[in-house]
Amino acid sequence: MVNLIRGLFTAVQRQSLVISLSAFFTSLLLIGLVYIFILIASRGGAYFWPDPLYLVKYQHSNQSYSVFAQIHEQNEEEKIVQLRYSHANNPYGSFLMLEEQSIVSQQQVLDVAEIKLNDGRMIFAAPDFLITPQHARAALDEYSQVVGEVETISSEIERLQQDTLAVIHQSLVELNRKGVEADAPAREKLQQRFRAVLSEIRELETLRDNYQLSIRFADSRTLTLTVAQIAQINLVNQLSLTEKWQVVARNVWGFLSQSPKQANTAGGVFPALFGTVLMVFLMTIIVTPFGVLAAIYLSEYAPDNSFTTVIRISVSNMAGVPSIVYGVFGLGFFVYTLGGNIDTLLFSDHLPAPTMGAPGVFWAALTMAILTLPVVIVATEEGLARVPKGLRSGSFALGATKAETIRKIILPIASPGIMTGVILAIARAAGEVAPLMLVGAVKFAPNLPIDGEFPYLHLDRQFMHLGVLIYDGAFHSQTDAKSASMMFASCLLLLVVVFVLNVTAVILRTRLRKRYLQG
Amino acid sequence: MLKLFQHNTPKIHELEKASSAIDVRELNLWFGDKHVLHDISMRIPKNKVTALIGQSGCGKSTLLGCFNRLNDLYNGCKYKGEIVIGGKNINHAKVNVARLRTRVGMVFQQPNPFPMSIYDNVCYGLKLQGVNIRRHLDDAVESALKEAALWEEVKDRLFESAHLLSGGQQQRLIIARALALKPDILLLDEPTSALDPLTTLFIEELMAELKQRCTIVIVTHNMQQAARVSDYTAFFHQGRLIEYADSDTLFTMPEKKQTEDYITGRYG
Ligand SMILES: Nc1ncnc2c1ncn2[C@@H]1O[C@H](COP(=O)(O)OP(=O)(O)O)[C@@H](O)[C@H]1O
Ligand SMILES: [Mg+2]
Repeated sequence: MVNLIRGLFTAVQRQSLVISLSAFFTSLLLIGLVYIFILIASRGGAYFWPDPLYLVKYQHSNQSYSVFAQIHEQNEEEKIVQLRYSHANNPYGSFLMLEEQSIVSQQQVLDVAEIKLNDGRMIFAAPDFLITPQHARAALDEYSQVVGEVETISSEIERLQQDTLAVIHQSLVELNRKGVEADAPAREKLQQRFRAVLSEIRELETLRDNYQLSIRFADSRTLTLTVAQIAQINLVNQLSLTEKWQVVARNVWGFLSQSPKQANTAGGVFPALFGTVLMVFLMTIIVTPFGVLAAIYLSEYAPDNSFTTVIRISVSNMAGVPSIVYGVFGLGFFVYTLGGNIDTLLFSDHLPAPTMGAPGVFWAALTMAILTLPVVIVATEEGLARVPKGLRSGSFALGATKAETIRKIILPIASPGIMTGVILAIARAAGEVAPLMLVGAVKFAPNLPIDGEFPYLHLDRQFMHLGVLIYDGAFHSQTDAKSASMMFASCLLLLVVVFVLNVTAVILRTRLRKRYLQG
Repeated sequence: MLKLFQHNTPKIHELEKASSAIDVRELNLWFGDKHVLHDISMRIPKNKVTALIGQSGCGKSTLLGCFNRLNDLYNGCKYKGEIVIGGKNINHAKVNVARLRTRVGMVFQQPNPFPMSIYDNVCYGLKLQGVNIRRHLDDAVESALKEAALWEEVKDRLFESAHLLSGGQQQRLIIARALALKPDILLLDEPTSALDPLTTLFIEELMAELKQRCTIVIVTHNMQQAARVSDYTAFFHQGRLIEYADSDTLFTMPEKKQTEDYITGRYG
């Protein structure tokens, strides 16, 4: 075969063949990457874009239906479309696969809206009229005014709960702690007050729920929603382009700032974003000093013998160990062994409920630090090796000790190399999912690892992670297209996070380079 | 080598009488198995310029590195013999090497300014000594830069990066950096081989002034330079000291054939 090729082409032709082949494969690779990015960006972006709504009439098992629906192209060749529709029997949206020929008609109607509820569910229906305590049938124009009134009531309820109820509850707890008897007059008085405030809140809630919106489905059946339930109403078919982008901006903001709803198929990803960034941040704090110290020891202090060589080889081999192995190591060593021992030593009064002996964000960060340690060590060693010899001798010749030379000359000059290692570590850590699921990342965590409660940073808490959310979304998406786009949106966000972290690190590195390298 | 001192020319007597800054006694040095310096014995007189000449690879830089123990940086370097500086044998194990290096400054072939400002380069050694008072540092920087004849050119941009200086300026900065510690001895390893002729001249003039303050040992490949700037010259060949005399004698009437061949350019 080789001989055949030799025979066919001259040396120059062979060379240009090699060049054009590698150019071909490189561009193929590039096209592939661009395609993946476009796929993620468009599918993820679709999550935020207000799709037009149609009045669809279709035939199904010899019955005809009419619904308000979004139409998603599913398979162009076999002419199958997917409808996401709302219907009086099934107001919160459901999916349906249809052959194109069973659709009798589809048309955009102006008055149909995408109604988002506070709990993340969505209804496609035409808003009809408002019901207020004053009017049984108020015009829709008054919607924003009604929302204002509802918000006033809601904030009043909030205030009562926060300021009054919580204070009374606190005093009751105080009485309990002091061991005051159950029928003591002070306690009676407080409890009475508690009940009074509670009923006041109930009254306000009833008042609030008297503000309602009546909506109409495609088959003219109606449904009443309380205004307090509604997060957003978008009359998507009436929106101009700028208004559509405003909706997108609002959706993006909601995606970034809200918690997931409806079992991670709606709402936002804030806790996951927060968890990812926090974990990466903790990991960076842990891995950088350890990696740098290890690299300094290896290249500046360790004797030049075969033992050091063996260690060096092991370090670079560690970078190739499958990440799930690190996950198992983290679970077995950090969580069970280390965490378990910390529990028996420090938190023995909480046992058998584990404090540190359970997966949590700190153990996850530590596991990721171990996973990325080789990357940092190798990059730092390269950085150290690149420090010009003349500068070392120059520093020693001025009476500097080895430690002083390392601190004042070598480390600053090696800092771009160290940054490179940290960048690689961050990129790796932000994308890993499998090991994290063993040591603390969960699909849903009730609390953020940071809150207003002492000691503010709860390193023992489990946390949410974008990667886990994507993984979870992939399972939902086998049946559910819209949550698939939430998965793509999370994916896009993860890419953006990694990109931002990387760009920051690269900018930092370039600045360090400018500062410390010759020329 | 001691034979050298028994000759009867008056100039060599002078070399013997002068009080010495460095007294090398039977120095041998190995890099691993390679015997680099063989039985070197020589006295380097105080407040004079002494030039070390010889083919490349004959061990001049290595000998220079013995005077501030810079060879210690290479593992596999072993040495025997004594080097007496300031009345003490610096090859003794208990010598404080960092302190020694503040007394014996060094300038390298390639200018090697640190990636810091001009100011920070000059006070690098002083700060290591624990000098932190701003006024003292300012004064030291100014006088060191003046001694190195660089002050006028950089006084307005002390806080710019040292890398922005030209090669010649950088080399004078390195000299200033060493002088800031007020060393007794200044070692120069081919300080001008990377510089243009004008700057070379500049640095040569500098040496003539500096020898009032300290002893200078310079390695050079340039015969004219050695003849111009040095009071004494030592010729080395393959790790041995072949001939050592005042520069006038050595360059006009060399004793040894090898020396003559070398200075007349028949080899090397
Ligand atoms: N760090 C080192 N390790 C091993 N051999 C060295 C080292 N430095 C110098 N040598 C050897 O010692 C000899 C003298 O080198 P050097 O003193 O640099 O010569 P020069 O007279 O050109 O300055 C050379 O043969 C060189 O190969
Ligand atoms: Mg040399």
